[in-house]
Amino acid sequence: MKVRRFSLIILVVLAALLLSSCSGAAMRGSSWSGLAADDSMAYLADGNLVYGVSLSDGREAWRYPEKADSKKQFFSTPVLTPDGQLLVGSAGSDNGLFSLDPKTGKENGNNWPFVGAKDRWIASPLVVNDTIYAPNGDGSLYALDLKGNLLWSKDLGSALWGQPVSDGKLVYVAALNHIVYALDPQKEDIVWQIKLGGAIPGSPTIGPDGTLYVGTFGSKLEAVSSKGQVLWSADTQGWIWGGPVLDGDSLYFGDLDGYFNNVNATTGKQDWAPVQPDGPIVGSPLALPDYFVVGTESGTVFAIDRQGKTVWDQPLTGKIYSAPVSAGDLILVAPMEADFVLAALDKNGTQVWKFTPQK
Amino acid sequence: MWDTYIVIPLTNLLLWIYEIIGHNFGMAIILFTILIRLVTWPLNAQQMKGAQGMQELQSDKEWQAIQKKYAKDKEKLAQEQMRIYKERGISPFASCLPTLIQFPIIIGLYQAIIRALAATPLSLLNLSRSIYPFLNVANIFPLNSRFLWMDLGRPESIPVFGFALPTLAIIVALTTYIQSKLTMPATSTGGDQSAMMGNMMSIYMPLLLGYFALTFASGLSVYFITSNLLGIVQYGTMGKANWRNLLPGGNKVAKSTKTK
Repeated sequence: MKVRRFSLIILVVLAALLLSSCSGAAMRGSSWSGLAADDSMAYLADGNLVYGVSLSDGREAWRYPEKADSKKQFFSTPVLTPDGQLLVGSAGSDNGLFSLDPKTGKENGNNWPFVGAKDRWIASPLVVNDTIYAPNGDGSLYALDLKGNLLWSKDLGSALWGQPVSDGKLVYVAALNHIVYALDPQKEDIVWQIKLGGAIPGSPTIGPDGTLYVGTFGSKLEAVSSKGQVLWSADTQGWIWGGPVLDGDSLYFGDLDGYFNNVNATTGKQDWAPVQPDGPIVGSPLALPDYFVVGTESGTVFAIDRQGKTVWDQPLTGKIYSAPVSAGDLILVAPMEADFVLAALDKNGTQVWKFTPQK
Repeated sequence: MWDTYIVIPLTNLLLWIYEIIGHNFGMAIILFTILIRLVTWPLNAQQMKGAQGMQELQSDKEWQAIQKKYAKDKEKLAQEQMRIYKERGISPFASCLPTLIQFPIIIGLYQAIIRALAATPLSLLNLSRSIYPFLNVANIFPLNSRFLWMDLGRPESIPVFGFALPTLAIIVALTTYIQSKLTMPATSTGGDQSAMMGNMMSIYMPLLLGYFALTFASGLSVYFITSNLLGIVQYGTMGKANWRNLLPGGNKVAKSTKTK
């Protein structure tokens, strides 16, 4: 009987450990990288920390917070403001939107951090003039001044994961509930809204004439006029996550079935058949003068020219979900599940340095 | 393997129920739980049979004589108990089995809930690979995670005087306690090993499940509560519930009645 009782205790404890470890794995496995850069530093949001990494040698300049805080998780791409702040939202339980000094990684003062949102920050904020437009997972778009004071907010009713765009007059934000909203900051209200064919986790792209190009989980890229009408809709093989890049008259984007697509921005027709690098493409492509840089879930960085031909490819380990970033002569890529969190390549795809944070 | 055979089917089942009942994830979890209860019905029946066998044993004259004879020799008493269990086909584990069998379902369901709600980019990406072709996820995603006052993808609490009161965790612990007490057989001696095991389960399980409810997504708590309530109703309607165990000293009342 003692053996039986002991077995029972062991079973209960094992079950507890198993479920706890599932939860732990879920937390660790839910991380998502966000990458930005200026002319001297790369800013990487990764797990519980944000890193400032020197572009010259790939060394860590600072980390925020200095000691990892379980309440903080950083998924969104950090954003530099014109007045020299680095904004980054937390996807952890603190729901904080932080303003850091990009040189030191220290928190700025005033009314920062903003903790008025009810959910996690997955989208990056957009800064237009002196106003920050920050979409939150609670479904609200928060308008803040540069000191972190709330100016107004608008509940749009569904989680917002994509960075807004603006034509200088209206602010456009896409929601997971399939809807693109146009908001007038003067009226602090919705001007129009349109429902598309699927959830929109990424950011719309805005053309010079105000047309919005939106990729959806309905496996479509849709063009929406500045008045809120669908102009055309282009079918794709897979769901579209990262927003398209508008380059000349064409749009370039990847999909989750692993295709790199192009369509004409006016007609929505393909100029060439989609090419298939080596895995699903989540992040937006990076447009460079000679080619686009694309990261795949298989962990390879591809340079693809405007005719869809591969110029070079550089296999890295891990999975690349965030969009590659250009910084001077470097191409920065942030893979997940690799033994490093940031790699710098030159324009030929040769690795210059890689950054592994010290524990 | 675990993903293919447990998490992905559970995720799709949940999403399918969600789709057909009009996009209410809380109701989908409740219906899912009813379905699981129906599937595990034979196990529950086995548990009741085991509990009944244990109960009958307490009033058995041979067993009472053995208890009296070996009152001071616990080891010999345990040996005799095992012999009688074997002879009469009683399995004391039968009463614990349905609870233990729930653990893989709980773990799978937890992962399915988190995956289906896709509250983070990575979970959304995982969801996109987990869907069977018959489900039109482009239409149903994002899921409505709101149910009553809860966000089913997050642990639940209600602010009361500045404190976050974990209402669901308390209800989970309470209903688990009630269910385990109702299914405990009346016992003849305080030192009875099966009684000790039953008592242990009725203390550990509510604490354990209450802790899970406190820590994990509240959708899991909805599963626990529904499952417990269904269990209580099932035992009650079949006349197997031992309501006396809920009263303070109820077990002792049963004991003295049986040993007279």
